[in-house]
Amino acid sequence: MRIRKRLVWTASGAALAVPVSGALASGWNMPVGVTDLSRDIHGLHMAIFWICVVIGIVVFGAFFYSLFRYRRSRGARPSHFREHTTVEVIWTIVPLLILVAIAIPATATLKAMYDTSEADMEVLITGQQWRWRYEYRGEDVAFLSNLATPREQIAGQGKKGEHYLREVDEPLVLPVGRKVRLLLTSDDVIHSWWVPELGVKQDAMPGFVNENWVRINEPGTYRGQCAELCGRDHGFMPVVVEAVAPERFDGWLAERRAAAAEAAMGLDRDWAMDELMERGEQVYGTICVSCHQPDGRGNPPVFPALAGNQTLMDDRARHIETVINGVAGSAMPAFRNTLNPVEIAAVITYERNAWGNETGDRVQPSAIAERIAE
Amino acid sequence: MWRVIASVLAAFFGVQKESRRQEDFSRGGAGPFIVAGVLLAIVLVALIALVATLAAG
Ligand code: HEC
Ligand SMILES: [Cu+2]
Repeated sequence: MRIRKRLVWTASGAALAVPVSGALASGWNMPVGVTDLSRDIHGLHMAIFWICVVIGIVVFGAFFYSLFRYRRSRGARPSHFREHTTVEVIWTIVPLLILVAIAIPATATLKAMYDTSEADMEVLITGQQWRWRYEYRGEDVAFLSNLATPREQIAGQGKKGEHYLREVDEPLVLPVGRKVRLLLTSDDVIHSWWVPELGVKQDAMPGFVNENWVRINEPGTYRGQCAELCGRDHGFMPVVVEAVAPERFDGWLAERRAAAAEAAMGLDRDWAMDELMERGEQVYGTICVSCHQPDGRGNPPVFPALAGNQTLMDDRARHIETVINGVAGSAMPAFRNTLNPVEIAAVITYERNAWGNETGDRVQPSAIAERIAE
Repeated sequence: MWRVIASVLAAFFGVQKESRRQEDFSRGGAGPFIVAGVLLAIVLVALIALVATLAAG
């Protein structure tokens, strides 16, 4: 009898422990995550899970024990009573107390989740069918983050990569250790920005701005996806967050800011002759005209003529060089620090195509920027 | 009066003695119970709201 009892207990214990520990280790469970809050959330999840397990064991244990112990074949007679107030009160009060005990830490965590105050920085996250747009508020840095998984893999024509459907061309880069306020909205339908390891799942709704926040503790790449069915490509708008050390983040942001400024200036594109001539005429008229004269004929021998200056027209490199670096020991200033690359490129183009100079040359701002950077 | 409140509270809690129930059903109409139920429900909501604001504040 004793042995049999122990056997039953051991067997049922093992029957329970195997799937539970298996599930915990398998990656099916919620991740612990890399923020204090995600840890709190995971802790709550596990605590409540174990409370449920204990309740389940007690309730079903009593249930099956009664079924077994007081079975008809052993001559058990059912008792006929209608109520037992004390027992009823107990089984109402005990769950109530358990619920209150769960509610206290859960409410504290919820409160912390909603506290978006005193953030170090702010990112506006906009859902679009079917990509995310990230804007670093007050930094002039914004970009789209598109799915990067190749079409062949999706069509089943290639081997699926490690991060199939969970990779993007440009991840959201965030600094470790800083509080980042996330503002979420949408351009079209409701999306939801979800990164399990950050403990954030927040709806992005058109016409609303939802708030959330993260402070990531560990550098790394964290992946998630849109968690609100949002149309045909709902499964093709993943989220990737790259958490880096604060210094690296500052460097990255400065780089992105410079790139954005360059793009705004036009260094990222090919300029047409008309635009260059128009801008060049302006620059020439305000800066160069006092020495080289409106007709480009200068005032030789002190200020050389640029109109009809054949040796200069034949030597484009020297032309560029002279305007960027000036001529030492003469009145010709260096313009590398006083004019921007667009202005320098435009004025050189202008000089090479005005007053009867007909080289047809276009000097591109990007080339000047490179030359200056050297 | 006190009996009506006690019975409504017992209903909120979900446990009532059968003898009490019989008594309640043998005396008068449902009117007082309905009035007390509505009023106490308002009190309960106000109480929960108070606890919630205290917890949030
Ligand atoms: C303060 C007077 C002054 C201003 C302003 C000035 N230059 Fe000059 N520039 C000179 C002088 C002087 C030289 C001759 C330098 C030398 O070779 O001794 C010169 C030479 C040049 C040359 C070379 C000509 C050659 O044949 O070698 C170019 C090109 C030129 N300037 C372009 C410009 C442009 C473009 C601007 C306006 C953005 C400008 N300069 C503004 C005084 C000026
Ligand atoms: Cu979506």
